[in-house]
Amino acid sequence: MAGGIRRAVIVHAGWFMLGIALLVPILDPLLPLEWKIAGHMNRIFIFAILGLGLNVVTGYTGLLNLGIAAFMAIGAYSYAILTCDIYPFRLGFWSAMPITICIGAIAGVVLGLPTIRLRGDYLAIVTLGFGEIVQDTLKNLDNITQGTQGINPLPAPTFWGHALNTQDKVAWYYLLLAFLALVVLVSRNLEHSRVGRSWIAIREDEIAATCMGVNPVKAKLVAFAMGAALASTSGGIYAALFSNSGEPGNYDFQISIIALCIVIIGGMGNISGVLLGAFVIGGFNSIVLDKLTTLLQQMGMVNTQNVLTVPGNWKYMIFGFALILAMRFKPEGLLPSRQLKAELHEAEEDERAENARGAA
Amino acid sequence: MTSLLSVDNVTIRFGGLTAVNEVDLNVERGQIFSVIGPNGAGKTTVFNVITGVYEPSCGCVRIDGRPGARPLSWRTAIGFGFIALTTAAGFAVALNIRELWDTAITANYVYQQAFPWAKSFSDALTHLRDQPWTWNILPLLTGALVGLGGSVAVWRRARCTPDVIACGGVARTFQNPRLFHQMTVLENVLVGMDTKLRSRFWHAALRLPFFYREYKHAQAKAMELLEFVELDDDASAPAASLSYGHQRRLEIARALASEPKLLLLDEPAAGMNPSESDDLLLLIRKIRDRGIAVMLIEHHMDLVMEVSDRIAVLDYGNKIAEGTPDEIQADPKVRKAYLGTDEL
Repeated sequence: MAGGIRRAVIVHAGWFMLGIALLVPILDPLLPLEWKIAGHMNRIFIFAILGLGLNVVTGYTGLLNLGIAAFMAIGAYSYAILTCDIYPFRLGFWSAMPITICIGAIAGVVLGLPTIRLRGDYLAIVTLGFGEIVQDTLKNLDNITQGTQGINPLPAPTFWGHALNTQDKVAWYYLLLAFLALVVLVSRNLEHSRVGRSWIAIREDEIAATCMGVNPVKAKLVAFAMGAALASTSGGIYAALFSNSGEPGNYDFQISIIALCIVIIGGMGNISGVLLGAFVIGGFNSIVLDKLTTLLQQMGMVNTQNVLTVPGNWKYMIFGFALILAMRFKPEGLLPSRQLKAELHEAEEDERAENARGAA
Repeated sequence: MTSLLSVDNVTIRFGGLTAVNEVDLNVERGQIFSVIGPNGAGKTTVFNVITGVYEPSCGCVRIDGRPGARPLSWRTAIGFGFIALTTAAGFAVALNIRELWDTAITANYVYQQAFPWAKSFSDALTHLRDQPWTWNILPLLTGALVGLGGSVAVWRRARCTPDVIACGGVARTFQNPRLFHQMTVLENVLVGMDTKLRSRFWHAALRLPFFYREYKHAQAKAMELLEFVELDDDASAPAASLSYGHQRRLEIARALASEPKLLLLDEPAAGMNPSESDDLLLLIRKIRDRGIAVMLIEHHMDLVMEVSDRIAVLDYGNKIAEGTPDEIQADPKVRKAYLGTDEL
């Protein structure tokens, strides 16, 4: 009975959050200038999609991937090359996006095939290297990718004949929200299906899973392709939103680490956890730091000569500190999946029981 | 008629250690077959060979008269060819990508004019053809070789893995329960059913009607199996929360979910109290009555002698005896292995 009520609350919490998210652009103009957030939400949505992509690989399947930003870069550049009018393809948003997603998935399989037998640290090193290779390739293939300039400007996506310019903040907000909702829906559908179960089974115990007839090669490749496809989606949307592919340096190791922080701090293998993580970390990154800088500037406390007084410079230190605190006090993340929480606290309880027995 | 499982002359060496030495075993349909022996006799190793976790150093394992390995089909061979061609093309293009892009795309594209795709394609081919052989023939050959070699190597390694054997109708449990602790009891059984499910990625991602139909069916079947092992009340509990005895029963339900012809149970009664092991005995008989042959490793002799149709005894990797429970009990070699020689 109590479980039923709790479940209902959780289900409705999702709808409640969606309601708030839908109302943000309507309420935002009413807020005073210092409190406006709608403009920052776009970035958070993109990071949430990226985090959900990494969640498939690292959260469900348990493969540590430190190169997820490379797939975002592949998505952004594919989208840019397909749409920009300095190239012959000149596709629209709606035809370029599916191709971008497919290219991402293929890139995921290409990385996955030779690394399929690696796990843990070794896989982390390979994916880390892959991230660097993609960046360097994009930088040096300057006759195709325009080197460090990035590809711009990209044409605005059209939506039933209406062009979505960068200024159409509200329309972009809803478009990104729709994409995020779609990604959440697909992730959730997969989690509770044969595919998702085989991913989680491989994370839990690969030998047992194989002995039950789960093909580990296939399951891992599908996970890699799915994660890369989602990261590529986020890259494509990012390029479309800013009308710019960004330069290769935009997709460096730090993006991968932020995505990993989102997944770990939010709660590995749990969609709402990843969304919360994206909101907390993305919100801190683009809203809190931004507002803090403005506030300090107004108070005259920012001295451009002294790097210590610029809040943005403290960003990675605060991230690192948050990660340490999270690992110490909430290793399962802010919103863990129910089972993971049971698992991590079971060991503690055993220990406590052992101590109690020892005392008695 | 061939036996359900035949282990022919199997030997496994780990470095210099021979864990199993020229063992022959035959399990018939509907039989309960026990493997006993002192600790370290190689019983679990035999199980690992049957399920494909280890590859035998020599000898072979047949199920229904067929080796467990996946045969080379035409589809696989065409797949090899396709992969080889793709990697060959990929290598050649990747090596020449800068010049190819310039000659095929940049040179042909007039800003915002229609693009001549056919001309661009033929330009690209001409450019590739005019290169010295180190820039077209060599990468093509290397690519084909890498693609073919890589795919054949991966296929060879994957043709006899546990998942292939499991699809062939062999399921097992482990000496220490290896459940998926973070999944619920029901989900554990559903993972075991994986080989029987036909829904694909798209069915699940888009929730097509087929997915629902299959899911309902699978769930009903999983619940039926949980009832069979008397765990249906715990269906939605996390597997880690079960007691040890229940975890063992869940492992059996998970193994049964793949509808095996042969079920391997590795010390199912370890850590059980006498009443639990009586329940287990009934459960094993019930499984046999479903038409599934059971192969059992066990140290509880009362259980083994009561339930088995046939027993094989291993000692130091050699099979020293095989027969009915009565024959085994009377066998002097078995007594010697368990109790040591009489020193009067």
